[in-house]
Amino acid sequence: MRRVFDTGNAAITEAAIVAGCRVFAGYPITPATEIAENMARRLPEVGGYYVQAEDECAALHLCNGASLGGLKAMTATSGPGFILFADPFGWAVSAEIPVVIVDAQRVGPVSGITGAPGQGELYLSRYLAHGGNYETIVLAPSSVQEAFRLTVRAFALAERFRTPVTLLADQMVTDGWEALAIPETSDERAAMGLEVVPRRAHPGPDFYPASDAIDVPPVVLGRGAGGACSDWTPTERGHDTEEVEAQHKHAHRLIHKIRRHRHLIDEHEAWGLEDDPEVILVSYGTPSRVVKSAVARARAEGLRVGGLRLVSLWPFPDHLFARRARYLSVELNWDGQLVREIQRAMSPGSSAHFFGRCGELPRVAELCEASRALLRGERLARRGWELEAY
Amino acid sequence: MSDRIEILLSGHGGQGVVRLGQVLGLAGSRQGLGATMLVSHGTETRGGYVRSQVVLASGEVDSPVVERADCFCAMTASAYERFHPLVRGTLLYDPAVVAPGADRAARRVAVPASATAAGELGKPLLANVIFLGAVSRILAATLDRTAVVAALRDRIPRYPEENARAFELGWELAG
Amino acid sequence: MDPLAGKYLRPEKWPGTACPGCGLRLLHREVLTAIDALGLGPSDLVWGTAIGCTGRQTYATWRGDTFAGTHGRVYALATGLRLALPREKRILLTVGDGDAFTIGLPHLLAAARRNVDLTVVVGDNLGYQSTGGQYGVTTPAGSRTDSSPYGTWEPGWSDGGLDVLGIVREAGASFLARHTVLQRDAVVESVKAALGTRGFSLVQVVYGCHVHYGAQALGDGTVGAIQGWIRARTVPLEPGPAPEVAPAGFRTGVFHDARGARPEFTERLRDHVAAVRARAGRTS
Repeated sequence: MRRVFDTGNAAITEAAIVAGCRVFAGYPITPATEIAENMARRLPEVGGYYVQAEDECAALHLCNGASLGGLKAMTATSGPGFILFADPFGWAVSAEIPVVIVDAQRVGPVSGITGAPGQGELYLSRYLAHGGNYETIVLAPSSVQEAFRLTVRAFALAERFRTPVTLLADQMVTDGWEALAIPETSDERAAMGLEVVPRRAHPGPDFYPASDAIDVPPVVLGRGAGGACSDWTPTERGHDTEEVEAQHKHAHRLIHKIRRHRHLIDEHEAWGLEDDPEVILVSYGTPSRVVKSAVARARAEGLRVGGLRLVSLWPFPDHLFARRARYLSVELNWDGQLVREIQRAMSPGSSAHFFGRCGELPRVAELCEASRALLRGERLARRGWELEAY
Repeated sequence: MSDRIEILLSGHGGQGVVRLGQVLGLAGSRQGLGATMLVSHGTETRGGYVRSQVVLASGEVDSPVVERADCFCAMTASAYERFHPLVRGTLLYDPAVVAPGADRAARRVAVPASATAAGELGKPLLANVIFLGAVSRILAATLDRTAVVAALRDRIPRYPEENARAFELGWELAG
Repeated sequence: MDPLAGKYLRPEKWPGTACPGCGLRLLHREVLTAIDALGLGPSDLVWGTAIGCTGRQTYATWRGDTFAGTHGRVYALATGLRLALPREKRILLTVGDGDAFTIGLPHLLAAARRNVDLTVVVGDNLGYQSTGGQYGVTTPAGSRTDSSPYGTWEPGWSDGGLDVLGIVREAGASFLARHTVLQRDAVVESVKAALGTRGFSLVQVVYGCHVHYGAQALGDGTVGAIQGWIRARTVPLEPGPAPEVAPAGFRTGVFHDARGARPEFTERLRDHVAAVRARAGRTS
């Protein structure tokens, strides 16, 4: 085990190498540039390839192409580049190509503030491909060590589900420094619960099972066996078709291979839910660490407060909101994104509330204050912002 | 040590604010403490303000946010203006650029880092290592001095003698 | 079934989606003729396409491996694939003029700059035809199309002395040629040369869409009319430097032949990786 004090960006790089990533194509962008720089240094050492693409759209297409040839690939970006992934992301979803995408969320909209954390891409990460008709997998780390673990996991899920997997990080995780243990042997990986799924190759010709099966090897070209793979609605052979029946089967597969196996994806952390709290603070990524401290402090004060940290964001964990409570969504944005999903998923009699912040993390004291106000049944308002629009 | 120590370091780009945080975090981490450091900065890697928030804890660090700084290193006037409301413990400031006003620091320590670096060491860039020495003395109950010096050597391997001397000067200034 | 098609194509995809009489079918067959002349089999070549008429006609027709990218992006996708394939595998891309020279041009130029070992065959139907006939950057100046009802007014890549192949040459391509689909032997020879190039190669083949371009711009939607019109406008490329004002028409011939002059993308990258590993004391 190698123990270092380093950034989330370094953790993601080392984890990708451990997971077998051998191609990184990217385009420099704050605060994800360091991942590209690290990959440029590390990949040649392990016989892998770093390519600096002409733009982010090309970067993900390059990764898709490498994966189509049998190499595991990853790219990393931030908001302005993430939006340019839309085209190749959709291609990878439809062609069922495993690839890993890192988005270090910063403050938007558009270029916004480069070196400060935001959480504005919850929905974009779900709906990045146009046209609907798919489900996707998104994971959110909240620490440097977890960024390592979830990157390895993202690669494993990408392989098993034949799909792009997005690591939705934030600037605090990617740029933040923390202790990091890097396993160096397979025993150490196993001890840390890290699963590395090797690339299996399906040379063709049939590779679109009309079922929700997972662990189907992705198509790999180059063996001349008649593999076929495109952006069109495929037949089971991968040929393009305009038949509505084939489209139904394809969409059904893209949606349900993930939804029906979501137990392999779902991951969360809960604090104090066993005590039937009245108020539950919900968050993901770095803000959840402040939430954890706030829940601990509130509970120490005897307040009926609990916390939920979402690790897997999509498919959205509706089942976590079955209990009747006042949910307070703590997010690094001002428009409220997670809170909308909570409002949709929560049980009757529950209410959803919003604590927004952007560019910096909330403070423990503020979250305790907001929790107390909710327990008193008061509305949350701060500096003229109507935070309880939900 | 108490369960949780919060350290805030701020100055402008190029002053080594991030390096200082790395050294403190690395030293803490090697001592078996929970350690986090958040870095915030503007677009420019040089010239804009830079802030490092270091949290050390006997166990895992949950919130990495400095809300009540046990130690605040103000390396520029604007850093002091921006962050002084957070200080509760010791304020370390460079008197050449910072004139402390009404803050809630329990203790104020003037660290003439820029003057000492330019005058005694002939190298203004070493001001940050002088600050590191001073901060380390304030944190002596939490961080082992030899661990900080070792972390300094690992993180900034060039000019080890000069750095050791600057660290020593800083340590003395915080006496 | 055509014997060449029977040898190389998936029977269920023959004769393809192109309109009866379309030059795209001639082009498809000319490419197969070149492949056959080189003695390549299904496992020697991976065939990629984009969208539009060319993509639909050629995608998943090849008995070997085949893929299609999104509009204009297949050059980046193929660059990634090139990284993963052994050097002896050819990658052929059959694309349209819009894909190569408009939406995909930045990616195409990046592939030329890197000298990625790809062969691009551009089926040039003189505009956007699968969407019903709108002008593009290879549509002759002044043409009336569905999106230029009063004639085109903005310059294309072949107007006023411009030549898009000059841009691709300057970007670093190894082999470039342009022919009309009616110059059968020349197309076959150029595609053969392109497929034999270790680096970025491109063959632009003008065929024109008789259904849309012929009807809208020439006032005659027959195959004979567009073929006659193409023949009348075909001029040979002048040897030496390009004339300041290019003559109107399709300047055909080998435009640029610098095969072997620049290292290929994956060779360069593999050398780089080997050098890094050697420095680190590892063997690759």
